[in-house]
Amino acid sequence: MKIVISGAGAIGFHLAELLSKENQDITLIDRDLDVLRQADRHLDVLTVHGDVSSLEVLRQANVGDAKLFIAVTTSEATNILTSVLAKKMGAKRTIARISDVDKLHDENRQFFEKIGVDVLISPQQLAAQEIKRLIERATFTDLFEFENGKISIVGFTLDTSSPIINKTIEQVDNLDEEWKFRGVALLREHKTLIPKGSTLLQKGDHLYLSAKRESIERVKKFVGRQLKDIRRVMIVGGSSLTLITAKELEKEYSVTVVLEDEDQAKYFVSQLHRSLVVVADPCDVDALKEEGLEQMDAFIALTPNFESNIVTSLMAEEMGVYKTIALVENVNYTHISQNIGIDTIINKKLIAANSIFRFVRKGKVEAIAGLHGVSAEIIEFVVHKTNRLLNHPIKNLHFPDKSIIAGVVRGDQSFVPEGDSFLELGDKVIVLALPEAIHKLEKIFK
Amino acid sequence: MFNFRIVVNVIGALLLMLGAFMLALAPFGWIMNSTEGIFSLFLSGLLTIVPGFLFFWFTTKADKSIRKKEGFAIVALGWIFVSLFSSMPYHFSGVFDHPVDAFFETVSGLTTTGATVLEDIESVPQLLLLWRSLTQWIGGMGIIVLTVAILPLLGVGGAELFVAEAPGPTSNKIHPRIRETAKRLWYIYVGLTAILVLALSFVGMTVFDAINHGLTTMATGGFSTKTASIAYYEQPLVHYIITLFMFVAGVNYTVIYFGVKLRWKRVLKSDEFKTYVIGVIALVLSLTLYLYFNEQYDLERSFRTASFQIVSIITTTGYVTEDYTSWSPLISLLFFCLLFSGACAGSTSGGIKVIRHLVLFKNSLLEFKRLLHAKALIRIKIDGNVVQPRVMTHILVFLLLYLGTFVIGSLVMSTVLYDFDEPMLSAMGSVATSLGNVGPSIADLGPVDNFAAIPLAGKGFLSFLMLLGRLEIFTVLILLTPYFYRTN
Repeated sequence: MKIVISGAGAIGFHLAELLSKENQDITLIDRDLDVLRQADRHLDVLTVHGDVSSLEVLRQANVGDAKLFIAVTTSEATNILTSVLAKKMGAKRTIARISDVDKLHDENRQFFEKIGVDVLISPQQLAAQEIKRLIERATFTDLFEFENGKISIVGFTLDTSSPIINKTIEQVDNLDEEWKFRGVALLREHKTLIPKGSTLLQKGDHLYLSAKRESIERVKKFVGRQLKDIRRVMIVGGSSLTLITAKELEKEYSVTVVLEDEDQAKYFVSQLHRSLVVVADPCDVDALKEEGLEQMDAFIALTPNFESNIVTSLMAEEMGVYKTIALVENVNYTHISQNIGIDTIINKKLIAANSIFRFVRKGKVEAIAGLHGVSAEIIEFVVHKTNRLLNHPIKNLHFPDKSIIAGVVRGDQSFVPEGDSFLELGDKVIVLALPEAIHKLEKIFK
Repeated sequence: MFNFRIVVNVIGALLLMLGAFMLALAPFGWIMNSTEGIFSLFLSGLLTIVPGFLFFWFTTKADKSIRKKEGFAIVALGWIFVSLFSSMPYHFSGVFDHPVDAFFETVSGLTTTGATVLEDIESVPQLLLLWRSLTQWIGGMGIIVLTVAILPLLGVGGAELFVAEAPGPTSNKIHPRIRETAKRLWYIYVGLTAILVLALSFVGMTVFDAINHGLTTMATGGFSTKTASIAYYEQPLVHYIITLFMFVAGVNYTVIYFGVKLRWKRVLKSDEFKTYVIGVIALVLSLTLYLYFNEQYDLERSFRTASFQIVSIITTTGYVTEDYTSWSPLISLLFFCLLFSGACAGSTSGGIKVIRHLVLFKNSLLEFKRLLHAKALIRIKIDGNVVQPRVMTHILVFLLLYLGTFVIGSLVMSTVLYDFDEPMLSAMGSVATSLGNVGPSIADLGPVDNFAAIPLAGKGFLSFLMLLGRLEIFTVLILLTPYFYRTN
């Protein structure tokens, strides 16, 4: 499939990387020669140098033949313009990255579809939603929902107080008669495992469990930490991500926003209706304490300085804040931050790239790769033909070793299947797979 | 350079408009078969139109630019001229013994106060009563707004006048052009008045009375054609209809406009409107319960009386169905406090207005939060928008000036009213009711009394306060400051 990506920034680059590994034909356009050179060196892609809004450059990139045109430069106007141009030139489908979240309203989406922009992606909005989900399920470090939450995969780290330490996966799966869980992935010392029934859980393991929405509450018990519902949230940093996140959160939580710039603060005040906006240096511990840092249930660091996000989050953790989330877009830091105790790292560019990635693949893909160094993907397949998939129980379907079925959504119902279960036509099957297994899986479901 | 000629020009236009009203009214005498007073109206009309025409004619070539100074001058002087000329029909017909009485009655009308010096209203010729009601109706929406709406001559400077005559902290623009905005306001005004007149004549008022009460209700004025005011009418429906329309007249016309256009989201977005509704409901319910348990009224009468009186005073209309000062000192004091309330900004009501109370209350409450969060940026919001510090200051200064005027006015009036039974309360009440453009007061100037007994000096002073209140203080007082006459 021919895909043209306009803009080789963090999102464009990551996307090109993801897609080129998928054996897609990628053309990458950017104005910055250095970035393109790097792409040429590391990725199997074609690069075109020039201004993306120039028709000449778009023709040079052969946009007319593209199945998909992805505009992810930092300029919203450029992205919308080039998407419209690309569509008129013959691109099948267009995706534009935007920054103004108002454009995401349904009626506005329809309008943009009419003029030629099929999908709008806002990294900030996606990140804000991610943060909101994490706050809602504060017990977990990550949470993936499929089919509106009918099947969820949650990740959490086992500490000494967890009741499932020294139990095997099989024991955990059958811990509750009524509620089925499935341990789908395990991160142990930077290595991703697909656990077997006999795998013994250890302290420090990062376990991913799949479960139905109704069972999620039960999973919380496994975490071992004292359960707590989030009520008070402090967000530091004055970016537009902060504003969108605060807008999302202030509907349900008591939100305090701390930022440095007074003019920015005035703008925040005009936009936020329930949050308290404080003008202070986000690294000034005393100021944060004054605003009740110790009483906070969650601390979210979203300044553009990733190092200080890590440090302030650690500080908050130290003071007993239950949940800390830090914006870290430098991939090198991701690993270490997790190890030294920050609950969750948010990388809005990766989130956006992954979200676009989903549109590209045949099935729907949610990737956890990059988030915690788990090199696995969660893919949703649909059984859309009557074939041998339906004739045998799951255990006889010969799924690749490095993959595991996390759940099945059938109509309004969802379940975590057993080896003896059968699939039916129209089932949506959620599979977690290591990269090596993906190709084989796609063949099975084709 | 102060553009004196344009001030004369616009005042000329105002007088032409006023004269037209007088002449237009005269033929009603024949229709109503009550020609008494027709001559004085004709004469006044001519005597208004002639100077108006001269003013207008000799300054037609004036530079049409109206800046802030001219705007304030036109509005303040315009109102004084209009008041003077509007009192002529009373002079020529000899309704009042003294010109100050006539002036007081006129200003009370134009400013929609509704305090009267007439002791026996029924004995006044019908045509003059109609003129009296009409002054309130004109003054309610504002004669300058009307002129802006009808005459294109004001063109550029319209905005300055509009702001000076219909002041308030909220923006009233419902159309990009001020003239179109003014027109729409008048359409609503005329439309609602017509509906009310029909409704009142339908439930048993004579057509004449319905017209008069229609005019004065929508203006939140309160002049009645009966000495006993609305208490004269025993049909509960009359009370309910008037209550409803007084209430509506107290709503911001921008909100009414959106209501008429069925844009409910915009209506419900108005914090002032919501506060007004909730406040009125709360007061009505409390008073209903009080009357029901303490005055041996039945429930319907308690509710009817409570809602009528509360709405009448809050909207600064000033109609009366019962004497609220007769119930208890508590209720008298409550009504005295309500004289300061006022309804929504951008309505025909007077007083301090709900929006200012709301801003001040919210801000005072937030001050506590500010004390606890020294570094936080805490701003008050109205309709979801931050109230800018400049507006905040303006509102604070307005309140201080308002209360200051009340204090000084009370001192003056208690000197004037020294031989009243309760000089102090009467003085305070008369000042509060004049500044707020309400009408009835407390003590010796209660709902069932009139202002005839006040000495002439007091009447003149109260007339001044009414103008001050109607133009929301700044527009009048600015002419008394040195800054107005200096260039720097």
